[in-house]
Amino acid sequence: MKGRGAGWRSVEAAAGLLAPVEREVVLGDLAETDREVWRALGDVLGLAARRQLSQWRSWRPWAASVGLALPASLFLMGCSVAASADLACALGEPGQVQLLWFSLPRLLLVIAWAWMAGFVVGSVSRATLWASLLACAVPCLYCLSKWPGEGLSHLRLVVFFLPGLCGVWRGRREMQLGPNWAVLLAAMAMLTPLMWSRGGWVYGCWLLWPGGYVAAMARRKQK
Amino acid sequence: MVGEFEFLILSAAAHLGEEAYGAAMREVIETKGGRTCSLGALYITLDRLEAKGLVKTWMSAPTQQRGGRAKRMVRVTREGVRAAREFYQAVIKISSGTVWGESRGRSRLPGDAA
Repeated sequence: MKGRGAGWRSVEAAAGLLAPVEREVVLGDLAETDREVWRALGDVLGLAARRQLSQWRSWRPWAASVGLALPASLFLMGCSVAASADLACALGEPGQVQLLWFSLPRLLLVIAWAWMAGFVVGSVSRATLWASLLACAVPCLYCLSKWPGEGLSHLRLVVFFLPGLCGVWRGRREMQLGPNWAVLLAAMAMLTPLMWSRGGWVYGCWLLWPGGYVAAMARRKQK
Repeated sequence: MVGEFEFLILSAAAHLGEEAYGAAMREVIETKGGRTCSLGALYITLDRLEAKGLVKTWMSAPTQQRGGRAKRMVRVTREGVRAAREFYQAVIKISSGTVWGESRGRSRLPGDAA
């Protein structure tokens, strides 16, 4: 398959699903054989699908998607709706300064927790980020479809999505944090579910694991 | 013990010797083995064989023939030779006394054309 037409370009595009080293090997193998485009495409997509399936034999994609992205999505949605309501109330009435002082630290905690959850999702399983994003998006889309009038305010976006996405980006690039950052995040991870107490104590305890993971990884790095 | 497809890959790599790599092995499996072989099945099985220590793989220098791309070269290890021999001997042993295990040309399977 030595052509450089649209068929070959589609094969090259599909090979983008593979790791860089394997992509070169596979495209090289296909370049020196006389396979039809559809068979070459099948080869590349088949390998990509098998690689993706083999990822799911490990605990990592499950922990990142079902274990963290899904519950974190529900938790952060609840927190962000409550935080935006608190802030709107505090900012709407000048006499509510006390409420503002109470709301802001809680809001900062949620932002930090969202960043840390994104970091853990990105570092635990980089190859299956699509599944984690899906697990995060499904509850959001469900809620938006069920309560379409609510919409997704800018504040909620800031509280929830942006720190989470920043964390994912950082987690993908750097697998471990420094010990000081890890301790700070682990402490925040303990405080956040306790301060917000949404979904019961079992759910709250479950949400502590990303903090424990970050601290354990930092400790391993120190050794 | 290795599986059937693992045995085919070990045999193809052994046939090709120093020139064993993905595309060449697939060619051998398809022409000599008489069965289709996708690159996905080939590379996933190669990974498994390498994890078991039955083959060793490494990247070659890029070649012009492949558009300046490298090959994943394969070599069967001593453990790989032993595992392939075990599989082969097991097939020979279990086939002895069967219609298909008899020497070729002497007997025919019930479904064979006359």
